[in-house]
Amino acid sequence: MISYILKKLRYLKLLNVNYADDQKKQGTSEYGQSTPIKLSQSLEKNLIAIRNLIGNNFDVIIREFSFGDHINVALIFLSGMTDQSMINENIMKPLMSESHSSQNETLKIKDIAQIKARILSVGGVNQYSSYDEIIDGCLSGQSILLLDECNEALAIMTTNWKSRAVEEPKTESVVRGPREGFTESLLTNTTLIRRKIMSPDLKIESMKLGSRTKTNVCIAYIQGIANPLLIEEIKRRLNRIKTDSILESGYVEQFIEDAPFSIFSTVANSEKPDAVAAKILEGRAAILVDGTPFVLSVPMVLIESFQSSEDYYSRPFFASLIRSIRFLAYFISIFAPSSYVALTTFHQELIPTPLLFSMAGAQEGVPFPAVMEAIMMGIIFEILREAGVRLPRPVGQAVSIVGALVIGESAVTAGLIGAPMVIVVALTAVSSFVVSAQSDSGGVLRITFVILAGFIGIYGIVIGQLGVFIHLASLRSFGTPYLSPLAPLSIRDLKDTIIRAPIWAMFTRPRTIGWHDPERQEFRLKPSSPSEETKEQNKAVR
Amino acid sequence: MKLEKGEISSSQLMFLVGGFIQGSLLTLAFAKDATKHDLWLALIAALMMSLPLALVYITLALKFPGQNLFQINDAVFGPYLGKLVSFQYIMLFLMIVSSNLWFAGDFFLTFFFPETPIIVIMIMFAFICAWGVRAGIEVIARMSIILVLFTILIALTTFILLLNEMKFSNFLPIFDIPIHDFIQGTNIMMAIPFNEVIIFMMVIPYANKMKQVKTSVLYGLMIGGITSLIVVIRNTAVLGPLADIVVSPSMEAVRLIDLGEIIERLEALVGIGLILSMFLKVSVFYYATVLGMAQLLKLRSYVPLVIPVGIIGITLALTNESSIQFTYTAMNTYPIFSLSFYIVLPLISLLIVKIRKLPK
Repeated sequence: MISYILKKLRYLKLLNVNYADDQKKQGTSEYGQSTPIKLSQSLEKNLIAIRNLIGNNFDVIIREFSFGDHINVALIFLSGMTDQSMINENIMKPLMSESHSSQNETLKIKDIAQIKARILSVGGVNQYSSYDEIIDGCLSGQSILLLDECNEALAIMTTNWKSRAVEEPKTESVVRGPREGFTESLLTNTTLIRRKIMSPDLKIESMKLGSRTKTNVCIAYIQGIANPLLIEEIKRRLNRIKTDSILESGYVEQFIEDAPFSIFSTVANSEKPDAVAAKILEGRAAILVDGTPFVLSVPMVLIESFQSSEDYYSRPFFASLIRSIRFLAYFISIFAPSSYVALTTFHQELIPTPLLFSMAGAQEGVPFPAVMEAIMMGIIFEILREAGVRLPRPVGQAVSIVGALVIGESAVTAGLIGAPMVIVVALTAVSSFVVSAQSDSGGVLRITFVILAGFIGIYGIVIGQLGVFIHLASLRSFGTPYLSPLAPLSIRDLKDTIIRAPIWAMFTRPRTIGWHDPERQEFRLKPSSPSEETKEQNKAVR
Repeated sequence: MKLEKGEISSSQLMFLVGGFIQGSLLTLAFAKDATKHDLWLALIAALMMSLPLALVYITLALKFPGQNLFQINDAVFGPYLGKLVSFQYIMLFLMIVSSNLWFAGDFFLTFFFPETPIIVIMIMFAFICAWGVRAGIEVIARMSIILVLFTILIALTTFILLLNEMKFSNFLPIFDIPIHDFIQGTNIMMAIPFNEVIIFMMVIPYANKMKQVKTSVLYGLMIGGITSLIVVIRNTAVLGPLADIVVSPSMEAVRLIDLGEIIERLEALVGIGLILSMFLKVSVFYYATVLGMAQLLKLRSYVPLVIPVGIIGITLALTNESSIQFTYTAMNTYPIFSLSFYIVLPLISLLIVKIRKLPK
């Protein structure tokens, strides 16, 4: 079936290529690189051209004025994306007032480079000479200063717009640990990472994706730790993206992931700067996309879904316990309904007799077979969950009341489902929230296993599980085996899987990811009671 | 032309061999009629006898680095006779694939799904193995570690849970059978799991460290042998004379587990373990069959052959009439028949290699 889909996709791709070729022939290609049109000497001509390009937008402000010795200039900016007071104070004021006050000097200022060097009191100023650059700069919030009789323009960094403050993220809440989360602004996000890693080796490279949205995308990594081949591969895949819009990191994820048809995601995302910083320090690379608080990190391994940043902040015993609980919960969320279906449909003899009696009693009078019940309840639960996420807050109570009726006592008393099924579904539902990073794959697997179990019992479940295992073992994320360090086994890296070793014991980075510079810290950092020597020193001090 | 691009590490090879031997945990019972309660002695004897044979295979494989069994046949017997020998091997492997499919199907039919048609079980099993083969030997090898650990876990857990049911007087008197029965039992034991490691002549060329191949394969044999020993000792100690009569001693032994009326009826574990370990065994044989065919037919990739070979395997398996006939063949015909493939041909090959001083 997949090969059929692939064939179709290949066909569509061919169509696209042909389409693009046609477009190129007509000379209106979206993607084709046309030679940039240079600015002309005349301010009037320039302004007419710019008005044609962006002038009819209501937020574009074109302010024409003159200064000094009747030198005509025009300032172009977007009203919502620029800092008005900065424009007034640092661009208009110096140009208009100071140049008047010292007449004899202004006469000399005819050159745009001199304005840049002597008048503008702004940090970032670029010199552009083509319309494309000007328009791009203006649309990203810069103010463009055009000068008469000059074929260059100044783009002044006045970018400023309203953005959300740094808040606690909604998805990965922690009891202990930093509470800040990424925001929609790329600059804030890179700052949050830089504040965690103040090393000159932290490189943040930027590129623009999307021919219409012109979204800023940054790759953050640590030079010397991250594998250079990985960075190269990421850049290659990002450069491959020829689309017109990138609105969220999910767009980028789907363009660069290794296994587009897999239910398991091979690109991780996080909303927490500390988690992303930890991943970067392990040798991964983060991909930040403007306009979303979700930062991608590659390569991803399956174990990552079970790790939470809090594991590393709490003490190792508790962290290890929580880790194992997470694994248990994940397995419950996948296998509980299917095992129940298999046991009640095919293998009643495997249930202890007293339990079998009570289960049979509860199930009596229920008209549906166990598979139907499990699938129905699964779907109803998904509906309730989805409704709970989407619906407006004030209506929330209604869903919880109705939900309690549907999955609960009333459904059992009405004789629609058996009481054991309710317990199984409730347990599954609660467990599925524990490992939220894999909740999407978990949902698909759960339904598949229920169907297999209804078809051929435990045999079906084991076969299905083997299939998932084969798939997981063959997955790779940017060259890293998805199941590492379990398969291929790397005993040294088991320190951070089901158990979480103490921080002082984790002196190497994961071998499959941070092999480039494996040593994280010194070997002997285990805290120990002060030796005799230091005790004597202490006495001497007293 | 290289059909397989994957690479496997030495630890993966070790676990792959171990899991491969574990895949025959339940077929060990074929020797029980001959050896009675001395099955464990026959097992140890077979393991010891198979080690030098494994060394023969490894020596052959290491003489021709990067070449697998069929390429070695070509080199040793010449292009025409070599092809004929390779063809015989492919037929043998295909037969083993189909027998294992049938065994798995029959087992589940007998103990779990008496009313399900056997073909359904076999198709599902063949499908999953075909999936694994398509993914390549690297993926199968990667999976082996977890599957082997899981099987060992099941064996140990059931062993510990059955400790209070065990009567070690069941082993007495030791060596109570005629010597020819013992030899026959050992031969059966060697034919069914241990000598089958010849299949790893198809896998060894893809190991990344040739120097460690020998230790990996021998350690793998030991892992598989010790797991088998645990299971055999458990069965005989728990069931006593009953172990010689019942169809599947493991199943009957595990059925006796009863811990405070809470942990009981764990025989599903045996079924799960059977699929997991047999998956490795069948996949490796399946892989070798398909790879060999592709080599014989000079194809560029073995992938197009996977599904047809699976269908042929299932069809071949359906020719088995009943488990009685199957067991009879496995006990009396097959061990003698397979001697030529497992012992005679490799030894001749090694001799020719020595005489002709191959590879030149």
